[in-house]
Amino acid sequence: MTPETGASRLEAWNDRLAEYEAGRHTGAFQAALSRMRRNKLLLIGSALGILVVFAGVLGPVIYGVDHTLQSFRDTHLPPGAPGHLLGTDHLLGAHLLGTDHLGRDIAARLFIGIRVSLAVAAGVTVFALVLGLLLGMFGGYLGGWRDRAIRGVVDFVWGFPLILVAVLLAGGLGGGLFPVILAVGLVNTAAIARVVRGEVLALSEREFIEAAKAGGLSTPRIMFRHLFPNILAPALVLASYYVAVAIIAEAALSFIGLGAQPPTPSLGVMVSDGRNFLRQNHWESTIPGLTVVLLVLSVSLIGDGLRDVFDPRLRHEAKGVESG
Amino acid sequence: MGESRRGPDLGSEVTGLTEQYKAKQIGRRQFMKMLGAAGIGITAAASILAACGDDQPAATQATQASTTAAPASEGPTTTAAMAETTTTAMMDDMAGRSGRTLREGYNRDVSKHDPLTTNWYDPAFFAIYEAILTNDPSGASVPQFASDWSVSDDGMEYRFTIPEGKLSHSGGTIDAEMVAEFYRSVQQYSFIAGLAAPVDTYEADGNDVIVKMKNAWLGTLGPHKTGYWRIINIDTWKGLTVLDDGTLDAGSTYGTEVADGTGPFTHEEWVPGSHVLVRRWDDYPGSLTPFFENKGVAYLDAIRWSVITEGGQRATQIENGDIDTLINPQHQDIGRLEDNPDLTVIRHPEWSGYHLAMNRDYDELFGDRMTRQGLSHALDREGMVAAILYGNGAPTYGPFPTTDRQYDPAVEEFNQFDVDLANQKLDEAGWTMGSDGVRERNGVKFEFRYAVEDETTQKAVAEAVAAQFSQVGVRANLDVIDRALHFAEISAPGRDSAEMALFFWLWPIPLDVLILFSGSGFIPVPNFSHAVEPRIDDAISAWQQSATEDEAQAASSDFQLAWAEELPYLPLMNQNATFVHHNRVHGWQPFVWNLYPYYNDTWIEA
Repeated sequence: MTPETGASRLEAWNDRLAEYEAGRHTGAFQAALSRMRRNKLLLIGSALGILVVFAGVLGPVIYGVDHTLQSFRDTHLPPGAPGHLLGTDHLLGAHLLGTDHLGRDIAARLFIGIRVSLAVAAGVTVFALVLGLLLGMFGGYLGGWRDRAIRGVVDFVWGFPLILVAVLLAGGLGGGLFPVILAVGLVNTAAIARVVRGEVLALSEREFIEAAKAGGLSTPRIMFRHLFPNILAPALVLASYYVAVAIIAEAALSFIGLGAQPPTPSLGVMVSDGRNFLRQNHWESTIPGLTVVLLVLSVSLIGDGLRDVFDPRLRHEAKGVESG
Repeated sequence: MGESRRGPDLGSEVTGLTEQYKAKQIGRRQFMKMLGAAGIGITAAASILAACGDDQPAATQATQASTTAAPASEGPTTTAAMAETTTTAMMDDMAGRSGRTLREGYNRDVSKHDPLTTNWYDPAFFAIYEAILTNDPSGASVPQFASDWSVSDDGMEYRFTIPEGKLSHSGGTIDAEMVAEFYRSVQQYSFIAGLAAPVDTYEADGNDVIVKMKNAWLGTLGPHKTGYWRIINIDTWKGLTVLDDGTLDAGSTYGTEVADGTGPFTHEEWVPGSHVLVRRWDDYPGSLTPFFENKGVAYLDAIRWSVITEGGQRATQIENGDIDTLINPQHQDIGRLEDNPDLTVIRHPEWSGYHLAMNRDYDELFGDRMTRQGLSHALDREGMVAAILYGNGAPTYGPFPTTDRQYDPAVEEFNQFDVDLANQKLDEAGWTMGSDGVRERNGVKFEFRYAVEDETTQKAVAEAVAAQFSQVGVRANLDVIDRALHFAEISAPGRDSAEMALFFWLWPIPLDVLILFSGSGFIPVPNFSHAVEPRIDDAISAWQQSATEDEAQAASSDFQLAWAEELPYLPLMNQNATFVHHNRVHGWQPFVWNLYPYYNDTWIEA
């Protein structure tokens, strides 16, 4: 056996392994899609999510009222009341959700607030998912001192309450959305990295990884070609849960003044501003508050649905219930 | 209510005993026993004794007060009258006035109880300490710690008579020399001593404290009636605060664990962010202040101030009965409180103002008057008063609240809301509108950082201002900062301070404090604008040398007009001070001339 012959055999083996993995995933993906279509939680969550995203993305354009404009003559107007800010050609001719303490249109601010929440949630999730996947994969697969170091850092961050991390970062970096994204992102990273590491540890013992190792594949190739596709689904499910956490965290931090700074109309800021007028004009707080609930509910339903779709244990339990 | 409960027989019995004691027909011990036998409480009996005994400090004070108090008709005129008053106090005690703890809600966090080093003073200062004089409900100066005062014809010397036998809470004697030494310590150590800059020296001469002036100044008494000049036992303070090398110990417990004043209540607990507790001083020798009905020890056992910075909670707590009195509910809650038949709401203009500081070291932004005037005309002050203060205040076009006696309405010719004029002025100043809606001049965008304290009303004011600036092409980027950091952010030298900052001042004598904010000698603190305005400096100098009412008014008017036109700060509005008490609380009477109410007369129905 010449070295060239051995290399070509190894290459052929690797190609077949990759084809097998790809075929396995394609089949799994189609099955997952099929299960998604049948999952009511996922469908309801997705519908709600689309509605909220639509409001955040297109609401300001369609509604056509500048969220920064104020009219001291039109403060605390109830939903549906006409006001001086609205032009005669306005779509509704009235403040859809009323006005706040400075006479600003609540609906216009709400649309921007949703946009802020979604942007923060997206930023946090991308940040946490990428970093969490990398840390979890490296720690879990490489093991040894690298794993101990990564696990130490992750456990250290995970040990801090989210609010404390946010306060520390806001103190160091100043107020605004960036410290919020960083704080929530770091804590969520720790959560994702822990789960990913566990998955990687389990997968590392599986035959296809052993085979890849035996085949002489490089470590990066094993990690990104063979491990990554297998941990992506559970990581995404977990990330969907942490999207909801990010939305709540952003609202909470903005509520206590650590998040979005005025005049940026974050949902948390709107709830905070409105609480001073709860007795007189409750809608100034309840409307953004309910919006937070809707956002979180939609994301949670989507997360639960995805978990149902991708978690084999739950699928088997469901089948057992159906057959039993 | 109290009068209907008085027992005439008891009153005459006590009056008779008092007269026997004064005539030396019975001794002190026997007098006390007989008062006790008559059913008089020990506190009330001690008050009666203190007031009518010829060797007692209170009696001395009462006698002196009778001959010297400025509005003599309001005060006791004889020792007998004093005794009669304390007899009334005794009957009040019988009517159930003594006892109970007043629970007061306060809208700010509490400052330490040290007049010399505190940044601010809170209502507890009016319970623990006494000033040498104070303001009566008409605004006149009346005795508090001093029994008498006078000023020389040339206005160069003030003389305050200190009654003999005055004590502090620790038992230390507070005589004229102690008071003079305290005032000298204010000059040496207090950051705000500059308020009384025309004072040269404080000396003691027998029972008198003599204040010698560098020049005659009509405003001399003003600072001495504020919290920073409230009299303390300076020996106690020095023992805890001054180190061997003469510097101050930053870790001193004076004001946090110990406070040694002469007021009717003693320091008990000071917990910032939570509460302050003071207890009645049973050895209080009595008050000389004419408008106090109760000349003896306080009725209340204690007073507890709760820090309630959460705006909506303040009104809720007094409605629920969690507190008895309240200082400054949220503006939007006042109407609801006024409709509550169990509560009484007292409102009067506050000595306060919201001003915008513009850091003049950012010369390219705020260096020229035309630009500052353009910004000022963009602000709808009446609209902000209506929307943010719920009408519970007034717009200001110059530095003073309209209530001030020296307020000059001529300032109202300036700074009126007019967006067209604002745009015109900014155009004339060379600011051209950019394609992004923000003005530019010489390549500099009219965009800056605007620092504001993290407090509900201030944030609302700042947001409203920023939105109005944006209408004339000026972008103010809000930077909301925690209260603890805000002061540092606006008080750094040069361009290290924020370009613009919202500043709220509160002070019982507007001109005195506004001098500090605008004089060129106070840059960077507290002249947060770093503004050097010769017109204003000249007006300050004239005020500090004004010896007559006419001179003072002229200097004050010059100051106001210079401020309104040169705009070292943009004036916005001043709010009303609002006090609420449950109707079971009596004798708690805040009025316009003092920042806080006194508690000598306060009692709570059972």
